[in-house]
Amino acid sequence: MPETVEIEVKGLNFHYAGDIHALKNINLSVHRNAVTALIGPSGCGKTTLLRCFNRMHDLYPKHRYEGEILFQGTNILANGTDLINLRSRIGMVFQKPTPFPMTIFDNISYGLKLTGIRKRADLSEKVESALRHAALWDEVKDKLNASAYDLSGGQQQRLVIARALAVNPEVLLFDEPTSALDPISTSKIEELAGVLKKEITIVIVTHNMQQAARISDWTGFLMLGELIEFDRTEKIFTAPSEKLTEDYVTGRFG
Amino acid sequence: MTREKVRKIEGIIALSLSTLAALFGLFWLVFILGDVLLHGMKALSPSLFTSDPAPAGVEGGGLRNAFVGQLMITACATLIGVPVGVLGGTFLAEYARGRQIARIISVLADIMVSVPSIVIGTFIYAVLVKPFGHFNGWAGAVALAIIMIPVVLRTTENMLSLVPWTLREAAFALGAPYYKVIMQVVYRGAATGILTGILLSIARVAGETAPLLFTSFNNSFFSLNMKQPISSLTVTIFQYAMGPYDNWHAQAWAASFVITVFILALTIAGRLIIKWRYK
Repeated sequence: MPETVEIEVKGLNFHYAGDIHALKNINLSVHRNAVTALIGPSGCGKTTLLRCFNRMHDLYPKHRYEGEILFQGTNILANGTDLINLRSRIGMVFQKPTPFPMTIFDNISYGLKLTGIRKRADLSEKVESALRHAALWDEVKDKLNASAYDLSGGQQQRLVIARALAVNPEVLLFDEPTSALDPISTSKIEELAGVLKKEITIVIVTHNMQQAARISDWTGFLMLGELIEFDRTEKIFTAPSEKLTEDYVTGRFG
Repeated sequence: MTREKVRKIEGIIALSLSTLAALFGLFWLVFILGDVLLHGMKALSPSLFTSDPAPAGVEGGGLRNAFVGQLMITACATLIGVPVGVLGGTFLAEYARGRQIARIISVLADIMVSVPSIVIGTFIYAVLVKPFGHFNGWAGAVALAIIMIPVVLRTTENMLSLVPWTLREAAFALGAPYYKVIMQVVYRGAATGILTGILLSIARVAGETAPLLFTSFNNSFFSLNMKQPISSLTVTIFQYAMGPYDNWHAQAWAASFVITVFILALTIAGRLIIKWRYK
């Protein structure tokens, strides 16, 4: 497995409006072409950390970042970072499926049009390739002009993944992508993560420890805004260095 | 008496009182609509729509000038009021979301909704009629637009607020700038709600008389000139109903019938859109 570092977090502190200290001195490395899982009890800051990677917090007032997040060597927390460019390189999939109120085709081509692709033929080609990537093509190829809301929850989530993949991101952030899905849809998306990591880097927040153990290569365990332990997944789940991590992964609390 | 019995009796009293109130309201509603329908249908004829008013006291003639004038004033009011209302609502729900200024404007808009329309009429009289020295169609259109704006603004704001935040975040996460998120994702999500609000606001102003009396006034002749006094159905109804001639009264009934049907159609269209969207 290659060991290139894609994203390096250095001394990251994050405050929400009202000076709520949500992340405390986080240091970790996200490796390229690997799945990194963030686990921890509710409110520990794992989603907050994930949303730092594409600066999603910038949509809301009075937040504050301190420290650095180096994405391929460039600090994305620096002033003047082009957020539009950053977000087209680091995609995100949310907890609940978020299809746009338009057709399946238009959902996928939305991001492509943002990047300036206009020709129908180019769009069609890229839409098909994105849907194939997300293992959804066979199910929707005959109804590309149907509303995205007609799809099942699991299909919608794969549609959203396809939409994110269509713009060729280098990193994909998953925020509890399967918590609203049934077991079969969940396993499809987990399988997909395993396939996708050959081309891109994946960071996933999950409540489900088995899921982290199944699909991730690296795992970070957070509690109360602190990163308690970050290591290879098998180490975290079999021989963690910290007592807290052991208690959490063995289900003693959380 | 047992507690259970008391509760049952209380229930029966509440039910009969509310039923009575509903029937009372419904009675007058049906009475008014029935009366307009009955008298209006009788006076309805093709010439009502195709010919202009005959000289006072002479039989025959129609209200073509009033129908056309009404449409022109309402259309111009819509062209002015809808963009301002929709953009203003967008500002409140998106750019100024959660800020003090948004709350202040919302409250002001709510007050504007309940300002008597004659107050707006006199205001426009001072601003757009007096300086020009004569009544004119544009003044009427602007008066109606001012009545529309707060309605459209508040509806737009509410409908945009109903679009889930995760949808906006998803669009942002693809690298979309805010104006594209609003135009391509949020508006689509709220389109039916906003459209319904627009239709209902048109229905609301189409029935206004007071603001037009002070602004576009009336014109017995056919006119397409918005810079001059222009006829409207509501003002015509007002004048004809007060007038001394029987055929004026009949035509006022017919005009009442047509405008009622028009507003009814708009309202039903609004309801149908909601139903179609949320079926």
